[in-house]
Amino acid sequence: MKRHEKARNFKQVNTSVTKIDALQLALGKDSYVADFVPNDALIIKMLWSPHAHARIKKLDVSKAEKMPGVKAVLWYGNVPRIAHCTAGQGFPEPSPYDTFMFDKKVRFVGDRVAAVAAETEEQALAALEVIKVEYELLKPVFTLDEAMAPGAPVIHDEAEAHVPIPIPYEPKKNLVAHVACEAGSFEAGLKQADFKFDHTYETPYAQHCPIEPYTSLAQIAPSGRIHITTSTQVPFHCRRIVAKTLDVPVQKIRVVKPRIGGGFGCKQEILLDDVTAMFALRTGRACLWQFNREETFRTGRTRHPFRIRLQAGVKKDGTITAINMEAINNTGAYGGHGLTVVSCAGSKVLPLYHCENIKFDGKSYYTNLPVAGAYRGFGATQAFFAMESLMDQMAEAIGMDPMKFRQINHIREGEGSPIFAALGEGREGTPMTVGSNALAECIVQGAEAIKWQDRKDWRGKTGRYRRGMGMACLMQGSSIPDIDMGAASIKINDDGSFNLLVGATDLGTGSDTVLAQIAAEELETATDKMIVYSSDTDLTPFDVGAYASSTTYLSGEAVRKAAADAKRQILHTGAEMLGLPVEQVRCEDSAVISADDKHRVTYGDIAKYSLYQKNQYQIIGTASHITKKSPPPFAAHFAEIEVDTWTGFIKVLNYVSTIDCGTAVNPQLAEGQTEGGTLNGISYALTEEYLFDRDGKMQNASFADYHIYSMRDRPPLNIILVPSYEDTGPFGAKSVSEVSINGAAPVFANALYNATGARVREFPLTPERVLKAIKAAEKK
Amino acid sequence: MKLSEFIRPATLAEARKALRALGPKGMPLAGGTALHFMQGKTPVTAVDVTRLGLSYIRQKGNYFVIGAATPLSDIQRYRGPRWAMHEICRRISTHQIRNVSTIGGNIARVFPWADLPVVLLAMDARLVIYSGKEKEMTADEYFSAQPARLFRGGDLLTAVKIPVLKAHHGFGSVKVTRNAAAFSLATVAALLELKDGVIKAARVAAGSAIPFPQRLKPVEAALVGKEAVTAVFKEAAAAAGAAAKWVGGEGMSADYIRQLAEVSILDALERAAEFARGRAE
Repeated sequence: MKRHEKARNFKQVNTSVTKIDALQLALGKDSYVADFVPNDALIIKMLWSPHAHARIKKLDVSKAEKMPGVKAVLWYGNVPRIAHCTAGQGFPEPSPYDTFMFDKKVRFVGDRVAAVAAETEEQALAALEVIKVEYELLKPVFTLDEAMAPGAPVIHDEAEAHVPIPIPYEPKKNLVAHVACEAGSFEAGLKQADFKFDHTYETPYAQHCPIEPYTSLAQIAPSGRIHITTSTQVPFHCRRIVAKTLDVPVQKIRVVKPRIGGGFGCKQEILLDDVTAMFALRTGRACLWQFNREETFRTGRTRHPFRIRLQAGVKKDGTITAINMEAINNTGAYGGHGLTVVSCAGSKVLPLYHCENIKFDGKSYYTNLPVAGAYRGFGATQAFFAMESLMDQMAEAIGMDPMKFRQINHIREGEGSPIFAALGEGREGTPMTVGSNALAECIVQGAEAIKWQDRKDWRGKTGRYRRGMGMACLMQGSSIPDIDMGAASIKINDDGSFNLLVGATDLGTGSDTVLAQIAAEELETATDKMIVYSSDTDLTPFDVGAYASSTTYLSGEAVRKAAADAKRQILHTGAEMLGLPVEQVRCEDSAVISADDKHRVTYGDIAKYSLYQKNQYQIIGTASHITKKSPPPFAAHFAEIEVDTWTGFIKVLNYVSTIDCGTAVNPQLAEGQTEGGTLNGISYALTEEYLFDRDGKMQNASFADYHIYSMRDRPPLNIILVPSYEDTGPFGAKSVSEVSINGAAPVFANALYNATGARVREFPLTPERVLKAIKAAEKK
Repeated sequence: MKLSEFIRPATLAEARKALRALGPKGMPLAGGTALHFMQGKTPVTAVDVTRLGLSYIRQKGNYFVIGAATPLSDIQRYRGPRWAMHEICRRISTHQIRNVSTIGGNIARVFPWADLPVVLLAMDARLVIYSGKEKEMTADEYFSAQPARLFRGGDLLTAVKIPVLKAHHGFGSVKVTRNAAAFSLATVAALLELKDGVIKAARVAAGSAIPFPQRLKPVEAALVGKEAVTAVFKEAAAAAGAAAKWVGGEGMSADYIRQLAEVSILDALERAAEFARGRAE
């Protein structure tokens, strides 16, 4: 049996069981934060900064406090001033502590000024209108060049701004982070090259656009503790950060995550909960704060825009002799994730192709624009646009088919990369070799599906509509090795059902279902015997949360280990009941069975025996897991497009998205993740755009004006799961959720070039930008 | 826009009376989809106009008569001889919106991005207004400025009359959007009357890319009397630059939008000519 065929023998894993919360959600049962709001909850509204950069000279809330229905007003004058980081990352965070609940300075249009909690939304809004603010306007910084310029306005001039771990941070220069490494010698490598390249690429802002906006509800429990129900990817980070920001003990806070209507990274930040918790403390009432769509765009987190300079050298035979990537991101007004996102631009991209001389330099700068954070793809999306665009150019220079050029250069099973060890998240990385890799097969199957063999150089055509084909190869990671931890516990009930408690956070991804399948597989029972509860800081074990493509790989292995622990106890009690040594029994089909198959006791019998009858104890397994590797999922994307050379519009005729995610624990959910990520990437490449006015205010903060794809825009999309088997993951699984977003932008850029000879180095590929590029190419 | 009260009159006369009495504090309401875009903090009383028998499509003599409260989804589904309205209607917004948004609502208050005024201008439609009795006016007159001026005193738009296209008449429309549900970057509609391959009459209108929907008279002038061929259409489309004030949007320049409109005019004319020749019926 080939290694990847191992998954065929599984009974619960590698099966598309129905999502365990599907019926509940389809029937519209109370599931989301807003479903649990008591009728008498106070409504919170925030006065947002209309200025990109200003000092608050005077702030008078006295009138607002006296307005009808108003129960409390928060502003910098009446809350603790504690520098913290809103990003839910490891602890201590590799990000600056540069944020305060409220501050005397505002740093972007949409920054907090003052908040009101009132009986009704109308009353809260009316109170905001009578808050008097006098601003001293400061010169704003809107571009990377402005941020880096000597003598640039300092966005974080407060004394408290600092980093909690020793990493480069120079707020006086607006520098949020700097990371650099070199393997081999770039200069020496470049000298060996027959062809040399030096190009600069720009990638744009974007918002995650979850259907459910940011929502947080805080209540004071009868015990006096603060009970926060919130739409979050990181309940445990939320508890820690709220405790710090409010200066209350962690013990006083409980955070519950119900069902979540999408996160994609933007809910990896604590943007509401400090305020809802503070209002609950001040008023003793339930307090609800929900962003509207405009607030989600302006104040919610976004994707870091990047400027990437990529230099490379290639020999005529296709050997890549040197790569130098200089990546700079704009992290906006606050620095959470600035370092890690720029690090991942290198660490998740540069290992993909063989090269002995690689240099990387990553920087992150503040600007007075919306704040960037974690977003599916996390730096890799931006850097793959540069890398995969340049791969096509290198192939063209040496006269090689771009697919073949990738095939001879991509990393293979058993191989490592110096970049794995050199670039970590806030510290050095972890050396590793690639254990599972079906990229070669992804390329073959994808090429067949798109009919790559029919691709020609169509640049000489002259008709209005021109076709082009492009491709890209991609990778990501699965969890953050040696940093992230997931834990699970699992206990048996009277009837042989199990409570599976996980801190892992299902955002709508289906991870509760996937984790139930993993537990059921290990326990030799059925997935529908699992009652999954996630996540509640009082009741479930710790988990860092849903990010870094970690839930299936990291939390999944914790679940498998916890299930193995419970299984050991089940076997012990089953053997005792059968009067046999434990070596002579096995678990199968929800029962313990003697080796000769003659005697069996069901899990229900075992549970009742162990709970009520003899030598009573609770069968409960628990386990934690950290990873030593971050096995990359691999993908090859292909597309055929039609370009209207008179208008610049691009029509996607066919898109093939292949993926190697190891064992697909639930193939249908894995396909769903892949299709969602791919469409997300297509939308980012073609239509999504942050449009700013001269004062740094986003102009298109609604779904009417910010063009995210709906299902009606979905082009023909062919998802191909290519199996491999990752030995270090639960039942061969690695991650699936992020990698697919990385493909569309470079694939379309390459296809546009194939169709017209126009090479674009920035996107979104708006019709005007495409038309301009086509006209420029025609002039040549 | 905030609503303080909701009145449901049973007849047209009652609706007019209520609106007359309310004055600026009243507002006729059909699908309600425009409320989102209307500023104004003073709450108004909504007068429901969806139960006045104004939802229908009938062919009457030389016209298709569409009741003002007919939802766009009904127009999208309707089929009649040489009927062309479904094409544009199926492109407007989303199913959910089209199920409630009405033809009357789409044109009683003209938003810059509205598509139907463009189509109705090109089609030489007639508008029926109730002011105690019914009166008709041409689309040219109706869309010469914001129609609000016509509804003072509680008067209501009751129907839209679209001429049934004759043989040798052809209609074509183009709506350019960034994605399926987005507002138009440019909307163009063209009506051509051909005789022996020569353009006898032409009506071409545009919207979305200009401040207010209008006919493009220089484009029309460049067509009449000439052969219905691509070269002529191209030349006519090139006259669009001078025919209207093109405005940029969605991050794109006015110059690009003008180029886009020119291509859209060409496409609409090609479609109209094809329709007239009988292929696209």
